[in-house]
Amino acid sequence: MASLLVFATSGATAASTPSLASCRATLSTLEKHPGTLTAATDNPGYTPWFVNNTPSNGKGYESAVVYALAKELGASKVSWVTEPFDASYTPGYKSFDFDINEISYTPARAKAVSFSVSYYDVNQSIVALKTNPIVKNHTPAELKTYQYGDQIGTTGLSYIQNYIKPTHAARVYPTLNEALTALQAGQIDALVIDTPTGQYMASAQLTSAKGKLIATQVGQFPSVGEHYGLLLQKGSALTACVDVALNALKANGTLAALQKQWLGIYNSVPFIKP
Amino acid sequence: MSSSSTTETVAPNLFAPRRRQLLSKRHSTALSIVSTVIFVAVVVAIVFWAPGGVTFRHFFFDPHQMWVAFTGNHQGLASVGKGILTNIWMFCLCEVLVLILALGLAWIRISTSPVMAPLRVLATIYTDVFRGIPILLVFIIVGFGFSELNIGWISHQTPTFYGCTAITITYTAYVAEVYRAGLNSVPQGQILAARSLGLGQAATMRRVILPQAVRTVIPPLLNDFISMQKDTALVSILGIVEAVQSAQIDASQNFNDSGLVVAALLFLAMTIPLTRFTDHLIAKDRTRRLAGAQ
Repeated sequence: MASLLVFATSGATAASTPSLASCRATLSTLEKHPGTLTAATDNPGYTPWFVNNTPSNGKGYESAVVYALAKELGASKVSWVTEPFDASYTPGYKSFDFDINEISYTPARAKAVSFSVSYYDVNQSIVALKTNPIVKNHTPAELKTYQYGDQIGTTGLSYIQNYIKPTHAARVYPTLNEALTALQAGQIDALVIDTPTGQYMASAQLTSAKGKLIATQVGQFPSVGEHYGLLLQKGSALTACVDVALNALKANGTLAALQKQWLGIYNSVPFIKP
Repeated sequence: MSSSSTTETVAPNLFAPRRRQLLSKRHSTALSIVSTVIFVAVVVAIVFWAPGGVTFRHFFFDPHQMWVAFTGNHQGLASVGKGILTNIWMFCLCEVLVLILALGLAWIRISTSPVMAPLRVLATIYTDVFRGIPILLVFIIVGFGFSELNIGWISHQTPTFYGCTAITITYTAYVAEVYRAGLNSVPQGQILAARSLGLGQAATMRRVILPQAVRTVIPPLLNDFISMQKDTALVSILGIVEAVQSAQIDASQNFNDSGLVVAALLFLAMTIPLTRFTDHLIAKDRTRRLAGAQ
């Protein structure tokens, strides 16, 4: 009954957006563990979203956003839990207040969980080994001829299917690690991944045994309106307040500053057409 | 029943147990029906009346989502129905390879010739190692490692090739042990008798030992193959879009797991005939042995 009441109130307040002040006042009643804002993400967390796979250090874009959000909402404490992507969208009770894990909003997904407004508008890009022909030959017609691979559930994978439409079906891996291993082993020509993650792979992560960088970011595709949102339990009453706080952070320039700080070096990736 | 009136002390002992047996059989049939009905009713009740029952049913058993997952979505990538074909042909191919290779391995392990000593040691190490490593690690080492070695054609195969190789390597180790147990179960007397009839070593193996050994191990062999059928789902780690991977792709796109239930049903459709067949063989074998004992 209590949950029904909360749901009813959230429905009522969603129509008339709550003020930041009222959110701050009622935050402890909205939190899963009153007094603590519980954030979730997958393990490992990749740079530049997290740094050193330690979400609680406040470094990396997503970690920084969570702490800025907590400050905006007046949360006294932030705690982190591990939530694999596959588990994040199961229905029913969730032990976290929100999950932040580069999860793209789609209408189909929003039927199962609640999403916050965007905290990052994202483009997809191509990462390949420097020796692969795709580095030089990537006209829209040529792009269709390569063997792609990607992590399951990523919007990069959807992008391959919906925009590149290659002649060979893409290979699909359980985690990004297997996709990267397959790329290094030459089993796939390229993978499609959000621009910041792709840039990190090319500029730091993918190295030969001698430590030389072996991959390159071929280019990024124009925006298709994709954005990342915080994932919350379906109908969570916190959603409206998270939206208010994120909008405030957007309005006062905090999000832009954090993007510049953590993702800023990634602005020079050339655009290519799918 | 008339006999019970003539010899009152003996007859009840002769017939009553049988009658009691019949009665208790009827009784136990009724009991098992009642308990089955109650069990199913409780499960259905939980699924329908739990606070999250509607969500649960939608998440796992939504007919529309199940159909979409089975046929694939409009982007033509994730069809569980198409994915299961990959599982089936991989399983069929690996089964044949394993049956042949494992017999060879078992043969080496039970050989007694001193010339075979190094091979015996290698075979022992092989079974120890590949029964001890989780099959997922074998997939990763074979699937990615062979490509990275960069040696000719062996490094330029498809992930399905490496997947089959990994399954065959692992299950050969298991099945060889099953064969070995079967070969060892044939009494020494059979071998002595065959040799005394003038059969050579090879002929003894082929005509006397193997037929008896294989018959004994068919149930455990099928047991391993049922397990292998399911393990074909693990090749997804190499990027192969088989039934379970297809279902997971659908799940990640729609945040709905009904496709996984479809995959589970398809696997059941594949394994249940095999499990029933195994049971049938075990029952037949038991009857044969008991008949022989009398």
